Amino acid sequence: MSEVAVTPSVAKRPTGERVAPYLFLSPALVLFLIFVLGPMVGTLVLSLFNWDLLGEPSFAGGENYSKLVSDETLRKALGNTFEFTFWSIVLHVGLGLLLALGVTRKMWRVTRYFLRTAYFFPFLISWAATALIWKYAYDPAFGVFTYYGDKIGLPGGVLVDAHWAMPALILVDLWHTIGFSFVVILAGLQAIPEHLYEAALLDGANAWRRFWHVTLPMLSPTLFFVTVISFIGAFQIFEPMYLMTRGGPDNATISVVQYLYETAFRNFQVGYASAIALLVFAIVLLATLVQFRLRRRWVHE
Amino acid sequence: MIIRRLLTTTLLCAFAVLMVAPVFWLFVTAILPADDRFALPPHWIPTSFDFSPFSRVSELIPLGRMAWNSVKVTSLITVGATLTSVLAAYAFARLEFRGREFFFLLFLSGLMIPPQITVIPVFLLMRELQLVDTHASVYLPGMVNALGIFLLRQYFLSIPRDLDEAARIDGAGHLTILRRVILPLGAPAISALAIYLFQMYWNDFFWPNVFLSSPEKLTLPLGLASLQGAQGEGQAAVVFAAITLVVAPLLLIFLVFQRTLVDSIASSGLKD
Repeated sequence: MSEVAVTPSVAKRPTGERVAPYLFLSPALVLFLIFVLGPMVGTLVLSLFNWDLLGEPSFAGGENYSKLVSDETLRKALGNTFEFTFWSIVLHVGLGLLLALGVTRKMWRVTRYFLRTAYFFPFLISWAATALIWKYAYDPAFGVFTYYGDKIGLPGGVLVDAHWAMPALILVDLWHTIGFSFVVILAGLQAIPEHLYEAALLDGANAWRRFWHVTLPMLSPTLFFVTVISFIGAFQIFEPMYLMTRGGPDNATISVVQYLYETAFRNFQVGYASAIALLVFAIVLLATLVQFRLRRRWVHE
Repeated sequence: MIIRRLLTTTLLCAFAVLMVAPVFWLFVTAILPADDRFALPPHWIPTSFDFSPFSRVSELIPLGRMAWNSVKVTSLITVGATLTSVLAAYAFARLEFRGREFFFLLFLSGLMIPPQITVIPVFLLMRELQLVDTHASVYLPGMVNALGIFLLRQYFLSIPRDLDEAARIDGAGHLTILRRVILPLGAPAISALAIYLFQMYWNDFFWPNVFLSSPEKLTLPLGLASLQGAQGEGQAAVVFAAITLVVAPLLLIFLVFQRTLVDSIASSGLKD
């Protein structure tokens, strides 16, 4: 706190000094108010109106909110999104941890380089390219996935199969983003001090106990972070559904954000779409708060 | 012990091969001659080549134009958001002013507001300003980034204050301190942020998909998505060539800058 003594109090400084902080802040602040905070309030206001983007908006009160409860498609979309999110978190954290543990074992440097590259690179490919590649891979006639999937008993054309479409999208998402959880968990593993393992080894702890009593507690903040990020990302999933199945067959894969997009920009129900947007916001906020509460019990500080 | 190690490595390698397979299939299929292209079982090792689909890409989409649009939009966002973040983070980390805590919390709340929630009002605003279907509707909203402000502030706080106090005694103003002290010492965090932003917006689909519609204004992800309509095996080869042209340069850049890229993305997951 020694610098406080050096700096003159806010009021006594010359005008330039008092204005400077706001000048530094203003570009970010102005953009933030126009494009983030203002629109957030805008969404709140719009959710109270009925509007088709063309005519005059009419006040709807809580109508859009009661529609949230009765809308069958929305319920379907929420169910799909929760299913997608659950598997996304389990697979990203579980497989990410396994791969990271595997890669930290002793191995030839070239092998490690190859493995790291292979696991991570799909993360850099856009969703658009990913969706296109996999749509062809899943093609019932000439898709490479369909050909080998057939050998293990998968149906042809998984994307048009109400039962298999969602697992197929979960697989694409896993392929696309496992690299992120992998590198984050790997960085977390490498930050665990070596001496903890040496001490555990001296105490005669076997590999399993070292994992359970050293690795897992030390890694818990990282695993927590990956869980939160996976949740936030997965719950707002849009691209694979929109690009690969259009939410079909028969809404079997429609996601909440996709439904929000269709409601606003295809059906032009701006008010109702805003209510859906707020619902998504509330769920993500709530889930994040719950996860932070659980953090106290599960995460070793 | 040795057998277990061998087994683990084999499993890890098998998984790596599965990860590479879809993209490898894409590349191989793009250069196979028409007869072998979609033969089953798939040809994994090409013995003869046909590059003609590559020259036909321009019949489907103006790929060069789209690449330029992507470069333009993504660069403007990266430079803009990095700049606004540096300035704001400097104010939060180094300057005393009324409302500092309040403004900081305000930006922090932005971390919880994803674009999906704000897109409808921003669309209405852009429509009012007649900016729908212009690149400005994509890059202007991207030029502020709450996460960027937060990460840079944390990093700037870790730079010793003695250095700017010394510069201050020498008569340096804020801009000089920023340029001579904060920018050089904060460079690792600033470049990590820039890489993160570029990578994210280069691939962004949701936002541009709402705002852009004219073919000559589309970015690469939108251009690729528009190829969805081009089905059938004859067109498919050209589509494969187009995806290859988009994905291959990216992977080359990745192989060269792997360390920096991976570190910048992994560091977003570390607390300190």
